[in-house]
Amino acid sequence: MLTLHQAGLLATPALAPLDGSIRPGELLAIVGPNGAGKSTLLSMLSGFRPAEQGELHLDGKPLREWPISELASRRALVAQQEPLGFDWRVDELVCLGCNPEQSLVAELLDDLDLTHLATRSVLSLSGGERQRVMVARGACQLLSRRSPTAKDGGLLLLDEPTSALDIGQQQRLMRQLRAWAVQRHMAVVCVLHDLNLAGTYADRVWLMHQGKRIDHGLPHQVLNPATIADVYAAELQHVEGGTQGKPLLALMP
Amino acid sequence: MIASLNAYRYRIWLPASRAPRVLIGLIAALMLALAWGATSGALGISPWALLTGNADALSVQVWWQLRLPRLLLGVVVGAMLAGSGAAMQGLFRNPLADPTLLGLASGAGLFVALWIVLFQGSGAASLYGQFAAGFLGALSVCVIVFSLAKRQGGGSAAVMTLLLAGLAINTLAGAGGGLLAFIASDEELRQLSLWGMGSLTNSLWRTTALALVLMPLALWLLLRSASELDLLQLGETTAHAAGLDAPRLKRRIVVATSLGVGLCVALTGVIGFLGLLVPHCLRLWLGPGHRLLLPASMLGGALLLVVADTLARTLGAPAEIPVGLLTSLLGGPYFLYLLMRRSRSC
Repeated sequence: MLTLHQAGLLATPALAPLDGSIRPGELLAIVGPNGAGKSTLLSMLSGFRPAEQGELHLDGKPLREWPISELASRRALVAQQEPLGFDWRVDELVCLGCNPEQSLVAELLDDLDLTHLATRSVLSLSGGERQRVMVARGACQLLSRRSPTAKDGGLLLLDEPTSALDIGQQQRLMRQLRAWAVQRHMAVVCVLHDLNLAGTYADRVWLMHQGKRIDHGLPHQVLNPATIADVYAAELQHVEGGTQGKPLLALMP
Repeated sequence: MIASLNAYRYRIWLPASRAPRVLIGLIAALMLALAWGATSGALGISPWALLTGNADALSVQVWWQLRLPRLLLGVVVGAMLAGSGAAMQGLFRNPLADPTLLGLASGAGLFVALWIVLFQGSGAASLYGQFAAGFLGALSVCVIVFSLAKRQGGGSAAVMTLLLAGLAINTLAGAGGGLLAFIASDEELRQLSLWGMGSLTNSLWRTTALALVLMPLALWLLLRSASELDLLQLGETTAHAAGLDAPRLKRRIVVATSLGVGLCVALTGVIGFLGLLVPHCLRLWLGPGHRLLLPASMLGGALLLVVADTLARTLGAPAEIPVGLLTSLLGGPYFLYLLMRRSRSC
């Protein structure tokens, strides 16, 4: 469990102090317009940029006090796509940074619909395929390094994991993230651009704007057309009758 | 175009279970090359006669005082150059990083030349001074290049900057070397030009012994970093989240390669392209994982340098071709070929 106590960043890009907690078993979506500070927030949550004011606690201990290697068994990060210098094979890349059982690798590749690509070179994959490989790697790190006696499944941070996926793969990935949260008791934090994905799959939503978290709560509370239209400067329409009462927003022509 | 320089299109996949066999094979090949190098040269020496004690005094002396230290020097220098090439490529996440291309070797060379011309002492002091100068030269270039790369972030802009920085440093070092040659005395000039061509001729026990002590240290530092270098390939943020202390890794690689390359240059002059050629070929075959690539590159580099040096000694015997010329003749066209293949494929 990750808790924030007035944690914020002063240097550019800055982040206004915020409180909150991220609990195992839930999927938290971070949404907001371009440049709102979503990735910056994620990098503070991961400990890469230590909080410059306030404090973050992971599993009861300040984040900055965890040794880097110990931290790696408690949280994993799937960053936005970085160029890869060398042509790793998909199954090699998934195992980078951990030493997993072969059965776990096979299971993860299957979960993310990558089994047929297992022995392909990563550089020969499409953007969406590569994105799923990186998600598999993050999950693999957490699942294989997490101590078997731990009460929860750790913290998985993802920065726009669906940006290059088609809608079928988006659905599969979001369902998979939910499954990890519920079955493996992981805390999953996901930066999303697609508000309808956030509305459909997230348990809670944080809305970021200009380096501040301006709203947080249940999806249908946060993702109301008035707020969203205001923050994104977009003309939106609330479509009634979204599945199971989940909010559904559509662009006005 | 530069982005596609990073892509290999013709990789041959080798199953991971074959890894030990690859290393054993390379060791065996190195042994064979050493045996060949030990027995051939201007003076043919029969290994059998040496072993049984039937060799004449001249042969024994040539073998012990000239050939053995030279072979051993070839092994450590080759291993060091190729190993640091592989490590730098991993560090910059770029297959074109190489101690010669980035100017490390010529920086070290300039400092060594400065030492020879300006502070040349005599005996041991001069020798160790040369080592220290080489190390300092390589270290300062490494720091310059690295801070440039850092400022540029990742991506193709950084690659371009690195190569241009290397070009600038090489040019600068060349000009500096020319200037030094201009003001050097005749004796210093002779020493400079002998050293500058890149050869293992200058191998005596007192130089080789020092190399045999310090280089394994640098090699060990690099080998220890193998799995961390793998992690770094994920990009710095992700690697940090996966448990990598990137600043510590960078410091270690920079110190180890500067120490190693500085020593190599002080001892043998600039032997080019080994650091580019060997890891490149091996990566096509073994994949990019550093746990196999680093030791294999070291063995491959040692093998290539021992073979090249033996050829250099025997092709025109009793005269000798500087081995640096041979490796550059081999490596230059290979580099051009890489560039051409890449530009065709994009």
